[in-house]
Amino acid sequence: MRTLAIAGAVTLLLGTAPAARAIDHSKGYPGFCKDDKGVTVVVDFQQLGGDAIVRCNPQTTAGSGLDAIKGAGFQIAGVQRWGEGFVCRIENKPGAADERCIDTPPAQAYWSYWHAANNCAWDYSQWGVKNRRFIPGGFEGWSFSLNATANSNPVPRIAAVRPGTENTPCTAVEEQKPVTDNPGEVQRPVQDTPPEAGHQATETPQPGAPTGALPPPKPRASASPKAKDPTGNIAFSGGENAEDVNAVVKRTSGASDYAPWAAGGAVLVLAVAGFFVARRRKRADG
Amino acid sequence: MTSYFLPRDLHPAAWWVWSLGLSVAATRTTNPWLLLTIVAVAGFVVVSRRSEAPWALAFRLYLALGAMIVVIRVGFRFVFGGAEGTTILLSLPEIPLPAWAAGIRLFGDVSAESLLSGLYDGLRLATMVICLGAANALANPKRLLKAMPPALYEVGTAVIVALSVFPQLAESVLRVRRARKLRGGSGKRLQVIHSIMIPILEDALSRSLQLAASMDSRGYGRAGLVEARHRLLTGTLMIIGLIGACVGIYATLDGSTPRYLAAPVLSAGLVIGLIGFRLAGRRVQRTRYRADRWHLPELVVAASGIGVAVVLFMTSLVDPANLNPSLIELSWPLLSWEPLAGVLIGVLPAFLTPAPEPPFATLEEVAAA
Repeated sequence: MRTLAIAGAVTLLLGTAPAARAIDHSKGYPGFCKDDKGVTVVVDFQQLGGDAIVRCNPQTTAGSGLDAIKGAGFQIAGVQRWGEGFVCRIENKPGAADERCIDTPPAQAYWSYWHAANNCAWDYSQWGVKNRRFIPGGFEGWSFSLNATANSNPVPRIAAVRPGTENTPCTAVEEQKPVTDNPGEVQRPVQDTPPEAGHQATETPQPGAPTGALPPPKPRASASPKAKDPTGNIAFSGGENAEDVNAVVKRTSGASDYAPWAAGGAVLVLAVAGFFVARRRKRADG
Repeated sequence: MTSYFLPRDLHPAAWWVWSLGLSVAATRTTNPWLLLTIVAVAGFVVVSRRSEAPWALAFRLYLALGAMIVVIRVGFRFVFGGAEGTTILLSLPEIPLPAWAAGIRLFGDVSAESLLSGLYDGLRLATMVICLGAANALANPKRLLKAMPPALYEVGTAVIVALSVFPQLAESVLRVRRARKLRGGSGKRLQVIHSIMIPILEDALSRSLQLAASMDSRGYGRAGLVEARHRLLTGTLMIIGLIGACVGIYATLDGSTPRYLAAPVLSAGLVIGLIGFRLAGRRVQRTRYRADRWHLPELVVAASGIGVAVVLFMTSLVDPANLNPSLIELSWPLLSWEPLAGVLIGVLPAFLTPAPEPPFATLEEVAAA
């Protein structure tokens, strides 16, 4: 009977679990950053569907790319193998049915990681998300790369321009050295990169490769290219209407408010009952 | 039906199946609610169904061992960088390390998230250890040896001697403490530990030697009648089979290992191991005196353990988030009804099995007759 009930609950759960999109509204605020202190995070879902999301992380202290995206309220999941050093899922996309996020995602389908100073063109990050410090007042971009090569990695389709600063020049910030050199924390390696592939090409070692140090970043074109015209931006939102991340986790997992209390109660009842049983048996033995 | 609840000791293998079911369930989750419930279930069943035998006293030691595991796991988060996460609880001074030790951090910031992940992880391991302790407390190791298949006879002898060390230590502690009390011995706590350590170790060692000698004199471990080449073959087959089975079981239980290590290696290992079993079993000829049988209560015990594992496997396929509490955002771990109900199946043996045979029951019977 109980197994039947469980089987029923299981099918119910399987049938109703939606592809959740959720924002932690307590962190960051929707839209571009209003000043040059925080960092604007752009998530472009590309073929995964849905409007892009732009949110600001108003953090004034230095932080990694991971701090930037988490501080802006996005919901991310790392791979089981590397932890959050390799971002595998943003806003529950790609879903668990397509990508189980156990090992590093394949080169054909992964979240590519970009950055840009204000008013500059997007740069494919040379380093992993934990190894970069975000540019204050700049941009962090995430764009889903599906069946793309090193040269055709899709640039986030939102120009890295804060509203109201369209006429300021692009002051490129030199790529800093990684914060750590944990080989597990590098951006997805791109194979078969031609030597003159332009500023988007990266050459980072394979995760787990026995190299002592990472190669130095490639020299970039002398004049940093300007950002595209922001009028070409695709539709985006700030995720204002998205549900709260914890609410979504709770809803999709079928959790109940009372179950933890029941569990605590069961533990307590069993402990007390165990105590009395032990005492009774001790007395019976004399 | 009236004979169902007549006091008797159950088949030890039933208790082992039950406790392995509980520990497999524990491997599937890091949810503290579920893990604590599993520990409570195991503890309650042990309290209500353990016998008065010495090995039944070891459960307390396993509880202490579990607590130690949790403390060590959390403690290491303090020592080796616990800064995953944003809620920094404590800023310890970081000890700078040379460049070749990059990636290792000594002390530094400690975040609530990493402490919690250490706690959940440690709790899971502790729960598994406590479940094994429950099996050790409930199952009679000597009768388990009797129930071993003939092929595992030699391996089984060694394993059971090893398994009974811990319970024997527990009993030694009690005996030495009782002896000290009778002599009026008291003193500071540290001094007591110091003064009972040697007698306990001495006691356990001499009893092991005694056990070995008595087993030897009864013909255990005799291997003279079989060809050396034959023994090598069966031994190799069984070891390869056991290694394959271990790797396969590990891969099946751990979701992050490649799938080709799971079912193929497990089944190949089982097949090779079974061939070895057959070959080895042919040469060991032993009869059993009043072999333990599986009756209905044994089946109930085994089914409840397997039931817990199956429910947790099923629910973890559906809602992984629930069984591994998310640490994105600090919050109370969530829980749904299905896994909780599944874990509570494990408490059934405390009610649906006969009580253990009281000690000296047979002696009293003889005296009354």
